[in-house]
Amino acid sequence: MSFKQKFSKLSERAKAGWILGIIMIFAVMVALTVGGNIYNNFAKNLSKKTNQIVSLPLVTEIPFSLGLDLQGGTHLVYQADVKNIPEADRAGALEAARDVIERRVNAFGVSEPVVQVNQGINGEYRIIAELAGIKDVNEAIKLIGETPILEFKEQGTAVATTGTTSSSTAELTQDWKNTELTGKYLKRASLQFNPNDGSPEVNLEFNAEGSKMFEEITGRNIGKPVAIFLDGYPISVPTVNDKITGGSASISGRFNVEEAKLLVKRLNSGALPVPISLISQKTVEASLGAKSIDNSMKAGLIGLLLVSIFMILYYRLPGVLSVLSLLVYGLTVLAIFKALPVWLALILVVTMIGLIFYTFSELKIFNGTLAVLFSVIGVLLFFYAQQAVTLSLSGVAGFILSIGIAVDANILIFARTREELKLGKSVSQAIDSGFKRAWPSIRDGNVSTIITCLILMFFGTSSVKGFGTTLFIGIAVSLFSAIVITHTLFVLILGDWLEKRTWLLGVKKAKVEENK
Amino acid sequence: MIYKIIQKRKIFLTLSSLAAAASIFALFFWGLNFGIDFTGGSLMEVEFSNYKPSVTEVQDSLKNVDLHGLVIQPTENSVILRFKENTEDVHQLVAKNLQELVKNKQGASFKELQFDSVGASIGQELKSKSFNATVIVFIMIILYISWAFKGVSKPVASWKYGVAAIIALIHDILFILGVFSVLGHFYGIEVNTPFIAAVLTVLGYSVSDTIIVFDRIRENLPKSHEDFENTVNRSVNQTLTRSINTSFSAVLALLAILFFGGSTIKDFALALAIGIAVGTYSSIFIASPVLVVWEKLKQSKKIV
Repeated sequence: MSFKQKFSKLSERAKAGWILGIIMIFAVMVALTVGGNIYNNFAKNLSKKTNQIVSLPLVTEIPFSLGLDLQGGTHLVYQADVKNIPEADRAGALEAARDVIERRVNAFGVSEPVVQVNQGINGEYRIIAELAGIKDVNEAIKLIGETPILEFKEQGTAVATTGTTSSSTAELTQDWKNTELTGKYLKRASLQFNPNDGSPEVNLEFNAEGSKMFEEITGRNIGKPVAIFLDGYPISVPTVNDKITGGSASISGRFNVEEAKLLVKRLNSGALPVPISLISQKTVEASLGAKSIDNSMKAGLIGLLLVSIFMILYYRLPGVLSVLSLLVYGLTVLAIFKALPVWLALILVVTMIGLIFYTFSELKIFNGTLAVLFSVIGVLLFFYAQQAVTLSLSGVAGFILSIGIAVDANILIFARTREELKLGKSVSQAIDSGFKRAWPSIRDGNVSTIITCLILMFFGTSSVKGFGTTLFIGIAVSLFSAIVITHTLFVLILGDWLEKRTWLLGVKKAKVEENK
Repeated sequence: MIYKIIQKRKIFLTLSSLAAAASIFALFFWGLNFGIDFTGGSLMEVEFSNYKPSVTEVQDSLKNVDLHGLVIQPTENSVILRFKENTEDVHQLVAKNLQELVKNKQGASFKELQFDSVGASIGQELKSKSFNATVIVFIMIILYISWAFKGVSKPVASWKYGVAAIIALIHDILFILGVFSVLGHFYGIEVNTPFIAAVLTVLGYSVSDTIIVFDRIRENLPKSHEDFENTVNRSVNQTLTRSINTSFSAVLALLAILFFGGSTIKDFALALAIGIAVGTYSSIFIASPVLVVWEKLKQSKKIV
């Protein structure tokens, strides 16, 4: 006899016992994931106190990924000015600018900076930099903002060419025209000294593409000046004597050794291919973030407590069961917020979806649509389980709200169960049809909320996205906790003792008899 | 015990129409108090310890900075400043001037808690994004309800359930906007990005609430011996406890945020709490009565 056959021969209650076992292992896993640090401290203390006699294995601690508003940091939005860049090259230029900013930010010692290119709805290019836990935001903004823009310009056609001497001030007022060569094609800059007079020079080395451009530019400007602009100002205007091949040029004249060194450093950490300007920032001081975490935890616990008290007072014994489910619910959602290792994410999601399928087939309401619905939810849950969900203040609010909404499925089921009891059904029949009849409402209600969540997730703004994501995870897990866990617990406590004590379910016995 | 909710629909529909009219009135005269997320500008929260400068002192210290629309709002432990300028230079200048305030005070210190600045173009973008998201939610909801209720055709066509749900949603949105218009006008409460998230969530919540009532109507219709009006009324009554209990537990969770969640998230929780309450109201007292009114209209046409 296969395991499956053996299993199906078991009594309802014995089956529920097995399922409860699985749920308990699941609950322990999520609890250890969420409270890994608490458990580890406990285990360490225990082994210390018992002189290493009792030594519990330690678990890997996975931290929550906190948003900037909770851990402090800054969110900077830069707008890129792409009017001088041909349409086709814009995306590439932005990527290059992104890399440059990332290098600069890394040099500043920010842990895990997020720098990304983003396009506004009217097609504007933006670069968003998120610097978590940064102390001196002002300094960082300066660092990013001061990134040099290196441009090579030739004379505008309308201007008469009179310049003969290099770097003469006369030419500075002239009409300069951009060439295709910019800092984007710079391979590297280095400091060198003029062999004749020992003055410092900055040597520029172009990449292959840049070398070709430089060759062309010098080729068509023989006898004319070519200007090197840094941050919009000409820093050197040498006159081309001959076509320059080999891809290197030097800037000389206007600086001392210190200035030349700085320029080299700035050029090497990257010359921005596009000018950028800061259009938006959101900075939160770490202490304010810490206070927000404290407040949110307090609010979450009080919310959980209030909802639990209400459920137990109103629904009595089923209320107690739903509170137990709610605890597993809370832990599971918090675990999914963390970046779980793939194996753990897989085990958790497969267990949840598997048990949902099992419970529905036990209730005999399992069908194809349902399988598709939960498979999709399962895939999305797995996606969020194996990556960190960044918790922002509004995301946490979404989680707390979901505690209140998570009991909805239970409320629907209990209300139905009471109705069925009043019709004179036995407790076990009433519970069974309570679950069955409540399901279409639970499904339709939750699907419409999930649709809203998906729209919030694609809405764009990061705080709104976070809120939609946490609410979605909450709803998906609540389907598991409110149906699977509550149902399993119900089956386990069923029995004659309960049939005689229907007041535990909130229905007076006399009323049941009356209706019979 | 069955409450005569549908029979008394005129009272509820009139009340809601009045509330909706009042909301439109408020929106028309006061509009919404849009925050910097929409209008562009800066918000700066600073903390002074061991020395509390008065609003006038703060104002005087910023005299030499050319700030437009400066609003100084002292809170329990901090001071919030708002102004139109959004450049980093102005920000640094303001910070420097505020720092000066504690310069010669023994043991006093100054700390910047948060700084938000938003460019005007981003604000514009948020407005159109919010609008688009709301429209998409509406369309998806009509589609979903029409699909979920496709089997139901008598005596009311399935798409009419969708439209009734949307009427309830419009009622909800108007009500929240109206309340925030009043709150904005009298208490200076601003509308920012989280408000949009709150409104969209309320839409989702309200429609799921409505769907649960409609589900019961769908279930009761084929086996009902009563007319449409009474069947709907019975269905509303059967789902009444659930509707109220679910919103109650959601509002309990939100009250926890409202009172213990800190000031930053208060308005967000408030919008959600108001929205969930009104969403529950509308699914009971608007969506279902609208269905009955529609059915009655159809009947009276037939008789004529």
